[in-house]
Amino acid sequence: MIKRLGNVDSVTKVPKALSRAVPKTITKAVPRLLKRRKNYLYFWQKRWFFIALAVGWGLLSMPLPDGLTQQGMIILTMSIVATILFITEPVPLPTVALMIIVGQVFLMGVDSKEVAKSMMSDSVLFIMGSLMLAVAVVKQKLDTRIAWLLVRVTGTSTARIAFGISFVSGILASFVGEHTVAAMMLPVGITIIQLTSDDPKKVRNLAAVLLFSISYGCSVAGIGTPSGGARNAIMIGYWKEFFYDPTNPETFMFLIDYVHWMMYAYPLFLLQLPFVTMILLFTFRPEYRNLSRAIVKLRHKVEEQGKMKVGDWAAIIIFFITLLGWIFASSDYGMGTIAIFGAVIFLASGLVKWPDINSGVNWGVVLLYGAAISLGLQMMETGAAIWIAEHFLAILAPLGADSGIGLWAAVSALTTLVTNTMSNGAAVAVLGPIVLKLAVAADESPIVIGYITAISSAFAYLTVVGTPASTIVYASGYLKTTDFLKVGWKMALASTIIMLFGAAVYWPLLGV
Amino acid sequence: MNDENKAGQEENSEDRFRILVCIDGSDESYRGLKYAAKLGGGIDADIVLLYVRPIDQGLRSGGLQVDVARSNMLDWGLELPGIKYLKKGRDMLVELGVLGEDWEEQHFHSDVSGTTLGDNKIDYVSKNGKKVVLKLKVATDIASGVLDQWEIGRYDLIIVGASSRWKGGFKSFWDPAVAEKIVVHAPCSVIIARDLEAGNGHLICTDGSEAAMHTVRSDAYLASRCKCPISLIAVSHDIEGEEEAKANIEAARKELKGMGIDVVDAIVKVGNPVDEIIEAGPDYSLIVLADSGKSGLERFFMGSVAFKVMENAHNSVMIVR
Repeated sequence: MIKRLGNVDSVTKVPKALSRAVPKTITKAVPRLLKRRKNYLYFWQKRWFFIALAVGWGLLSMPLPDGLTQQGMIILTMSIVATILFITEPVPLPTVALMIIVGQVFLMGVDSKEVAKSMMSDSVLFIMGSLMLAVAVVKQKLDTRIAWLLVRVTGTSTARIAFGISFVSGILASFVGEHTVAAMMLPVGITIIQLTSDDPKKVRNLAAVLLFSISYGCSVAGIGTPSGGARNAIMIGYWKEFFYDPTNPETFMFLIDYVHWMMYAYPLFLLQLPFVTMILLFTFRPEYRNLSRAIVKLRHKVEEQGKMKVGDWAAIIIFFITLLGWIFASSDYGMGTIAIFGAVIFLASGLVKWPDINSGVNWGVVLLYGAAISLGLQMMETGAAIWIAEHFLAILAPLGADSGIGLWAAVSALTTLVTNTMSNGAAVAVLGPIVLKLAVAADESPIVIGYITAISSAFAYLTVVGTPASTIVYASGYLKTTDFLKVGWKMALASTIIMLFGAAVYWPLLGV
Repeated sequence: MNDENKAGQEENSEDRFRILVCIDGSDESYRGLKYAAKLGGGIDADIVLLYVRPIDQGLRSGGLQVDVARSNMLDWGLELPGIKYLKKGRDMLVELGVLGEDWEEQHFHSDVSGTTLGDNKIDYVSKNGKKVVLKLKVATDIASGVLDQWEIGRYDLIIVGASSRWKGGFKSFWDPAVAEKIVVHAPCSVIIARDLEAGNGHLICTDGSEAAMHTVRSDAYLASRCKCPISLIAVSHDIEGEEEAKANIEAARKELKGMGIDVVDAIVKVGNPVDEIIEAGPDYSLIVLADSGKSGLERFFMGSVAFKVMENAHNSVMIVR
């Protein structure tokens, strides 16, 4: 080694005249250059912030379009500015939430009490509670048990393991939320990959199949139950807020409870599961058909952990209590309250520490969801939502997509487009009021349109940022962004067809 | 052994040739590293391998911090991607003989709020003071992380892989590719690695301007480090300009002669500079261009030859500052 080093030293002899001549001119120019660049860099990094503000100012100084109130115009402008900021991220994202609060009070003159109230609804409590539950569940280290159960059932064939992973991830994710399960299952997937081969190049396709089984398994499951994803809870909140009238029994159908939601959405999720594995195996063709070596080692690893402890059982029981609460009591007490209740038991029993929860939950996102829902409600109240809905419908009409399955497909395409650029919860929060008004204007059932929006927001398979599960799985470093494109469009196509099939054939059987 | 090297701060030594290689685990970044090893083989050069991990915004993972998943991976005894990539880079340097196994090793760690890992740094220092550094850095985004690193260390050269995203015009308008952002803002020379292979020599573009002559001198210095042959190209828009282009080449050739370097090829072309340079490029390892010196706004509206070449070239490009 040292010998070779000596060689290298002798290779790069730089003529003395040269080495003196050049760097000096560089170092001399640096401070001035640096200052200019720093100023410029600051504005360049924030350019979208200024562009967004300019767009907002421009829109507000335009004459009012027909049929839109001043208030409606302001809220519309705020949503456009917020969307630009969401996508381009020139300022920390929670700032956008704060701007929405400030804007509502200052620009629209809404009473600050009203704004505060609209920020924290049951949906927001639910998002907060289920995130705390997510951290609590991941911290219980039940992943090894799950992995062990999984490989005991599936055996060692790659295809069966892939299906097993997406099935287990899916079933769990439909109740616990996709981010929780993705975080739990990620190490399981990577361990199997690493035990198969140390060289990532030799297992690229296998890695893609196993990791996508986790992320897509979780993503398709997010639609299954209201607790599967924030977007579902948001949609339930909107239905109640917009259409439910305690004095009118006909509007009681807009109170969708946990079981009701499952009846509509769970079969669609189950129907998608086999397609996940088929599409993945077909697209990536794994290098190994049998993973017996890896599985044997994995078993050893799990057996080292010993038997289930009391704490493990306690965690499972607490989780089941929460789940039962959601199923049987959420229509009376609200899903949010029950999620918070679950978090309380986990914390009180000492199964999870507050610092873990505090650092594991991004509180800014909770704030953001609150602000997005508040924005959505204002869009509704000011009539901005119906205005956009009518114009959108006018565009769709010549295409023959202003009613029935054409409209469903249009709504689904719109939602898929928006979700791929931001998070699915935020997409539903912003789009929700518009599509629900669209349903009213087109004389369609707001429930069907609402389901379609909430469900297609899970179809963000194309990008890393589309769904939480994809973002988490991508953090493992085994996948490329192009992999998402390669398989994502097939998934999106299959899912959309299955959903439209469900909406046209299955839901009418339930009497919508 | 190095007194001024305290608490994870790199010292700012002006007489050392410092190369910053951005590692992201792609093959391209490792080809860049190989090239860096060639340029920075001498004892007066330091090589710093940098992996930047962007801070979670949280929204994309639905409000659950990706760190929850990361710490779960650590609990399983799995290595996180950043560390894995850097270690692979280190092993490559050892294999190439740039890094000796007997070098002194120092670890530094500083916490960054909101992440499990924080900033981590491993210094390898040889007996004669040559340094190889592995650095894992947390930053709001990758490009700012790389630029921040320059602020601490003052590098002479940054090597970064061209992003595959580069050509998706729509997406890159929203969120400029990392490489592009670094090139725009870095105060030093930058190599955009694209199938970077050493050994085919440098192609310097000259238009006779002071900036171009400076480029010629700077690159002569660089090329002498890796013993790379140098060629020249000048392009004129029309036939009338051809004489001027030839004169520019001669001036550059003279300059290089004065430094004791012979020019291999001298190409004079007539046509669109961007197209001609891109077409001539693939025969060489690197196309070397001067930063246009245009400000951001001008660049935004008019573009510059340097930037167009950089975006569309088929091989690696170096922008000299």
